[in-house]
Amino acid sequence: MTNPQPLPRRSLQARLALSYAAGIYGAGIVVLAIVTVPLAGIQSTTPAHSSAPATVTGTGDGIGPHQLLVGSAIALAILIPIALAAGWFVAGRFLRPVRAITATATAISAGNLHQRLNLGEPADELTELGYILDDLFARLEASFDAHRHFVANASHELRTPLAGLRTLLEVALADPDADADTLRSACQEALALGEHQERLIQALLALATSERGLTRRDTLDLAQVATGVLASRRDQATRRGIVLTEHLAPVVTAGDPRLIESLITNLIDNAIRHNYPDGHVEITTQASGTEATLTVINSGPVIPDNQIQRLFQPFQKLAPDRHSRRDGYGLGLAIVNAVAQAHHATLTTSARLEGGLAITVRFAHPSHPNPHSHRP
Amino acid sequence: MRVLVVEDFEVLARSIGTGLRREGMAVDVVLDGTDALDRLAVTRYEVVILDRDLPGVHGDEICRRLANDRCDVRVLMLTAADTIEDRVKGLGLGADDYLPKPFAFAELVARVRALARRATPPLPPTLSCGDITLDPARRAAFRAGRRLELSPKEFALLECLLGSPGLVLPAEELLERVWDEAADPFTSAVKHTMHRLRAKLGDPPVIETIREGGYRIGPL
Repeated sequence: MTNPQPLPRRSLQARLALSYAAGIYGAGIVVLAIVTVPLAGIQSTTPAHSSAPATVTGTGDGIGPHQLLVGSAIALAILIPIALAAGWFVAGRFLRPVRAITATATAISAGNLHQRLNLGEPADELTELGYILDDLFARLEASFDAHRHFVANASHELRTPLAGLRTLLEVALADPDADADTLRSACQEALALGEHQERLIQALLALATSERGLTRRDTLDLAQVATGVLASRRDQATRRGIVLTEHLAPVVTAGDPRLIESLITNLIDNAIRHNYPDGHVEITTQASGTEATLTVINSGPVIPDNQIQRLFQPFQKLAPDRHSRRDGYGLGLAIVNAVAQAHHATLTTSARLEGGLAITVRFAHPSHPNPHSHRP
Repeated sequence: MRVLVVEDFEVLARSIGTGLRREGMAVDVVLDGTDALDRLAVTRYEVVILDRDLPGVHGDEICRRLANDRCDVRVLMLTAADTIEDRVKGLGLGADDYLPKPFAFAELVARVRALARRATPPLPPTLSCGDITLDPARRAAFRAGRRLELSPKEFALLECLLGSPGLVLPAEELLERVWDEAADPFTSAVKHTMHRLRAKLGDPPVIETIREGGYRIGPL
């Protein structure tokens, strides 16, 4: 790959040149055949009648069919290199843009994903190919950018607590007046940091798992999953003075139970976290038509409409403040988004005028899998 | 030496503060960019330890403003972004040094000291005046070869005075450079510590008191 051999790279040109030459040559033979066969017929019939034809041509000995054949054979022999050269030239002309595309594409894939072929609007087969490749490069670039952004953010989110843990322990151990109490409190803080890291890694794994797509599809009841999640979050909500209201009608859908549980958990955690003290969270499951819907509505600060899409990107937080830093990673809604996509579910989010969010996830009924629905 | 720590991850910020105070520095800790700018406007810090990804005002912006104001404060950038491009960009913004997370605390201390040494005019690694020598990195001070047992504040006072030999340092300036915000903000603290420092330095007296002026060490 790094050692391109000139011969194979020109093989298409050689093949084209040969086929052009063969075409020209074949045409030459056909023309000769058309001319020679009737002549041979005349030759074989005329001597029986008279010797007149010699005077008809008026050239004495004239050009007999034999000379004609020899001359044609020489012409055909001369035609071989001419046809090959013409074929090579024409093939080279047609292949030149392909070679240019190959060179540019090689440069682009070597790391300049922001470069484009720029062959203009699709006018023929080659510019269309260039157009398709440009489109492909654009999508690749966007995906690589997102990936790079994600890795940079993940490394920040992982390294900072790690630096905190290390400094905490180093400073505690270097304390000349350290006693059991100071060391104990340092250990407790280290444990808390460890839990923080654990939750972050779990969230990252959940995101990676849900982005991988579905590996199982079980029939499950959304209300039942939501009840389980609510039971585990009720204490946390009560501590913050948040009222959890539930309207859970049994409704079945198909999907990966662990992913759907993770989706509901993240929606409810998000609703509790970005809320006012004494606010409320309302969870509804219901069947609407052939779909199973889950709606989570929460009170909270007013969110500008144009910020909503950003919330579903990993590590995006609105107005990052130091208080939410400890318990939020900016991954919750990204996980919700990834799980919804894996289930081909529709995710609708609206910022409420009075503040907070209303998020609805519509799953297909298990008997009506709807793989073509798109997210808004 | 007065140091400002700007870091939004609270445990890390607090630990750095504790560790640096134990090294005899006067350390203030803030958790976001807006607070950092407020502190920088009122207090003369020698070194700022600055996280890049800060809420409020971004660390890059703080660094750019400090570089534009041509302050004599030294900036040590502390960040999780550790690619070569990030380092180059950080230093290009006007940071004096760059330390990627996670780091060894000893290295942070050494770098902060190295930055403080680059104050104008540059200070030698070991300060001395007459028969007194002081090594900030080893936290040791000697008079005529005898080791002095100084408290962190006494040590820092002596370091300040030796850093400006022959100059009169007002008590207010010493208070600002040696004590942090957690301390009692009165110049009586300077007076008491100075008294104990003089006692430990012994005879003949080296620190002069200038009436209505402040303190001075060394020849005029």
